[in-house]
Amino acid sequence: MTNVVSIKELSKRFGRIQALNKVSFEIPSNSIFGLLGPNGAGKTTLFSIIADFLKADAGTIEVLGIDTRYISRLQGRLSILPQDAQFQRNVPILDQLVFFRLLAGRTKKQAREEVIHSLELVGLKSVAKRRASTLSHGMVKRLGIAQAFLGSPEVILLDEPTAGLDPASARQTRDLVKQLQQHATIAVSSHNLAEVQELCDHVAILDHGNLVLAGSVDEITRADREYNLSLSRPLQESELEKLTSIEGVRSIKMLSIPAARQSKQSTDYLITLNLSADHLDQDAVIAPVLRTLLDISVTPRKLTEGRSLETQFLEVTGAQSDSP
Amino acid sequence: MNLKKINIAHVRLISLYWSRYTVRSGSGLVYLMIALVFGLSVAHIIIMPVERLMALQKKQMGQENPQLIRKTIVDIGQPIIQFVLRIKSFEQVTKEAASLQPRLPNDTSNTSQSGNNTSGFDPWTNFLIEKKPALLSVIFLILIFGMPFVISFLAFNQISGDVQNHGLRYLLLRTERCNIFFGRFIGTALFSTAVIAMIVATITFYLGMKTRLYPAPDLAIWAVQGFLALAILMVPYIAVCSLISASVNSPFLSLVLAKVVIAGVLLMAILGGFAWKPAKYILYALPWGWQNNLLHPATVHWLGAVFASFAYTAFFLTLGYIRFETRDL
Repeated sequence: MTNVVSIKELSKRFGRIQALNKVSFEIPSNSIFGLLGPNGAGKTTLFSIIADFLKADAGTIEVLGIDTRYISRLQGRLSILPQDAQFQRNVPILDQLVFFRLLAGRTKKQAREEVIHSLELVGLKSVAKRRASTLSHGMVKRLGIAQAFLGSPEVILLDEPTAGLDPASARQTRDLVKQLQQHATIAVSSHNLAEVQELCDHVAILDHGNLVLAGSVDEITRADREYNLSLSRPLQESELEKLTSIEGVRSIKMLSIPAARQSKQSTDYLITLNLSADHLDQDAVIAPVLRTLLDISVTPRKLTEGRSLETQFLEVTGAQSDSP
Repeated sequence: MNLKKINIAHVRLISLYWSRYTVRSGSGLVYLMIALVFGLSVAHIIIMPVERLMALQKKQMGQENPQLIRKTIVDIGQPIIQFVLRIKSFEQVTKEAASLQPRLPNDTSNTSQSGNNTSGFDPWTNFLIEKKPALLSVIFLILIFGMPFVISFLAFNQISGDVQNHGLRYLLLRTERCNIFFGRFIGTALFSTAVIAMIVATITFYLGMKTRLYPAPDLAIWAVQGFLALAILMVPYIAVCSLISASVNSPFLSLVLAKVVIAGVLLMAILGGFAWKPAKYILYALPWGWQNNLLHPATVHWLGAVFASFAYTAFFLTLGYIRFETRDL
């Protein structure tokens, strides 16, 4: 898998604040790449430097093999949904998007057709002639997504694409992103960890301008080696030993459940199964574990692959979970 | 500055889009209103006394007295022209104005003398009063003095507003920064030119149809020259605003700075000149020192003023572009 974006030793400072500190990672082609981090981690700064809105103090970025200091060579190949960028308030949105396509060398007719198609994809065709000032926040967000998808760019950067969208629109956006993955590499920054885990195949986690973790989602969440089981009752020490003795199981850990969760899910007891890295067939391990549990009259209620991205995120950023 | 990056097609598209939607952005509408009110008010103040005199003559004598009308126009125009052209000081002009006697419609005692007086003017004043339609000359001179203050209402927000609300970010991956900068500058200049054309056409049409003081061809030719002078003059001031707008993020600050710079240079030159004579050369930091030459009778002076306007424009645009190209957006 080749890399379409390559970031090396990137640094940016705003006064006393080190927004990015020697950040390096790659974005593989045709992937959906998630950029995670708490507020102020440097996600938007990073996207802004990739798009040449901001100038880096040090380091280099190559997109599709082109140094972004020569950003004009990426016209039509790289697009972005900038965070908090406003459209011209009193100009019809159709005119604004048509103008963007005219800049790409399209005729008026072609530009109009492309824009209508793009607006249709995000459900805004019916308001094409309205001014941006009359659109709701969610509609403006979808308009931003429509402009990012215009002209089938090869690399698309989406800065918080679902922030402020209602659940249905957010779902529609995620589906659209998945659909577009076949034709483009997409990088998404988001606070919504569940969304990133669902959508992305690769992630990077930034914290206070430093890259703390980067890799495939499977690697980071250990999807192939770790399983979480929700049980109907807690396990005795002897029962745990019995499960650990199953071939392929490296260790089993009873999870402490946060007090907030206990009150809501008092009948659920969690264990984490760690499988041996050299055991290739996970099913051959999981099946005897489940059978053993049933034999000792424990009902498995839920089985999930890997850690949640949230767990990993909180671990590497040292933040506290505020989810219920 | 790498001019190779300029894409003419993009500059054209951006300038047309910008001039088309400037009114909708608010600043264009404000400029349109202020420029129209200013231009037409000046015309009203200059033309009204002549109109009233003509009406009075018709009422009292049944016909107009062209010599007296001409004399009135000279009385109104001459001090204004000589003050704006800095031929006479404000003190001299007010003294002369105070010595003027109110004239009755049938009073022709001074008319022949006044005719001799105009020929005694300096060649530039004589050109503007005698050779060209004087009323239009006076209006043009006042507009040339006043429009630089008005233009900043249009040009202050070429870049800064879109930097503040990040709207430029939708454009930055679609075209070069130089195309945005120069496209918006040209779009602003186009809009300004259209508004000036509207003002000049309205005044000329009114003067031609209502007063019928001047032959239509003379009026039309001088109107075109005046329009050109105003249109050319606005360009360097728009460039100053481009520089300011590309340097600050806040549109309000950009407007204030544009006002302070344009008026400040003039004020510093005038007030500084009282204390220390060489301070009057501050005037040349902007086209203030050259701009009246855009109505000069000698072609060489006119060409010099045109060249100066474009030189100022090139200077401010270069500074503005370098700032815009290298800054965070």
